[in-house]
Amino acid sequence: METVIDVQHLKKDFNRETALQDVSFTIKKGEIFGFLGPSGSGKTTTIKILTAQTEKTAGEVSLFNRPAHEMKSSQNRQRFGILTDNSGLYTRLSIEENLLLYSSLYQLPNIAVKEALDFVNLYAERKKKVNQLSKGMIQRVTLARAIMHKPELLFLDEPTSALDPVNTQHIYNGLRKLNDLGTTIFLTTHDMSEAEILCDRVAFLHQGKIRAIGSPNQLKKEFGDETLTVELTNGQCETIKNGAHDAQKLYDWMQSNAVARIYTNEPTLGDIFMQITGSDLI
Amino acid sequence: MNISIARIQAIFMKDYKEFSRNYAVSVMIFLPLILAFAYNKMGTNDIDAYFLPINLVFAVVTAYVQCCLIAEEKEKNTLRSLMLSPASLGDILIGKSLFVFIVTIVIVSLSIFLVGYEPANLFILAIALLLSSVFYIALGTLCGLFAKTIMEASIIVLPVMFIFSFGPFALTFASVYPVLDIAKWLPSAQLILLADALEGNYSSMDYIVPILTIIAWSAVAWLATGLIYKKRMVD
Repeated sequence: METVIDVQHLKKDFNRETALQDVSFTIKKGEIFGFLGPSGSGKTTTIKILTAQTEKTAGEVSLFNRPAHEMKSSQNRQRFGILTDNSGLYTRLSIEENLLLYSSLYQLPNIAVKEALDFVNLYAERKKKVNQLSKGMIQRVTLARAIMHKPELLFLDEPTSALDPVNTQHIYNGLRKLNDLGTTIFLTTHDMSEAEILCDRVAFLHQGKIRAIGSPNQLKKEFGDETLTVELTNGQCETIKNGAHDAQKLYDWMQSNAVARIYTNEPTLGDIFMQITGSDLI
Repeated sequence: MNISIARIQAIFMKDYKEFSRNYAVSVMIFLPLILAFAYNKMGTNDIDAYFLPINLVFAVVTAYVQCCLIAEEKEKNTLRSLMLSPASLGDILIGKSLFVFIVTIVIVSLSIFLVGYEPANLFILAIALLLSSVFYIALGTLCGLFAKTIMEASIIVLPVMFIFSFGPFALTFASVYPVLDIAKWLPSAQLILLADALEGNYSSMDYIVPILTIIAWSAVAWLATGLIYKKRMVD
């Protein structure tokens, strides 16, 4: 499958501080790739390098098999969309006026504005000025702007951080639809459940280095202990493992109607992150 | 450089809408008009007085407005978003400058009319005024690129406005302090020298030198603007 992003031994220094060190990963066409890490781990710096907003210190970075610095050209900017924590919207203009500006810059038909507004569930509010919008609504307008030109590659920096559950679900459905149409998505998030729901693969970034990379299921298998917890009717909890001894115990509890609940002890991505790095994802 | 008329037009229209709703900045266009009207009522009829409101247009409309528009784009991160769109450096700079250029032409024309100035050679003067607009737009853009916020922009642009608008007054003291004679090479002073020459018997050198001087200022200012833009907008 075609490689959309290829990063090899990427290094980025800011003065004397190293923001990224020996970061390597590839993303194939049609993948949703999650870049997970706490604040200051280098997620946004990586996006800035990939979108040619920042120069790298060392390493190789290519998008669509072209060096990242070529992403500055008008033609290549049509190929990706970006949502960052800074909305960059004109606050005196309405939602529609903001999107019409960008539809003109991308040279799209006006229907693209309606489609983008439907995508983020904001068509009815299109005449509202941006300075009257809540943080969540601004996030949705920024997302509409990022996907309006149906990019091949979408960079999303904390896309649902300010959204309520209903709109978060709406955005998830829309992103899946975009992905089904072939859009590759590079997503950074703190939200482990978001990564589990959306991502085909994730990378854990900590202090500028990638600590683990793989699909959520792979990582859970690798770092999980494969035990079950049995909650008994007397309120007692027992942890059991694969094997004849624990199978007999479970059989006996079930025979005597002593089992209230059984659940797996599969770790969350957050648990795995803590296990690998020794720190929380804040 | 990739230039697109459609993108320039989109940025121009956006600036028009933003400017018309930004009363703190848009109110500045009335200042030179009021001054021109007041000078006319005072019965002023010398070139220096005619050019006070005209040079004020370049300072408070052209340089100041352009500086604020650029600084606000930086403060609100909208410039970064524009740069991530297919709009090229040329589209952005031309689109943003075109709006201020048109406003400048309109306000300079109104100021000339209100102050009661009837130039002897409108064609040559118009060329010099257009070139001056190009220079002051570059100056405003440059100041806007240095500023991080609109507040900072308002402060940065002040000395620039003072030097270029009121610089020609320094020539009054040049006989006492010869070093001030350097002020005659300011584009605002060259504009006055050119207008003064046009009122009498002038040779071609009387207008070629001021026009070339203003072109040189513009070229240097735009070159610096391009370099600073590229440097400031990449982390």
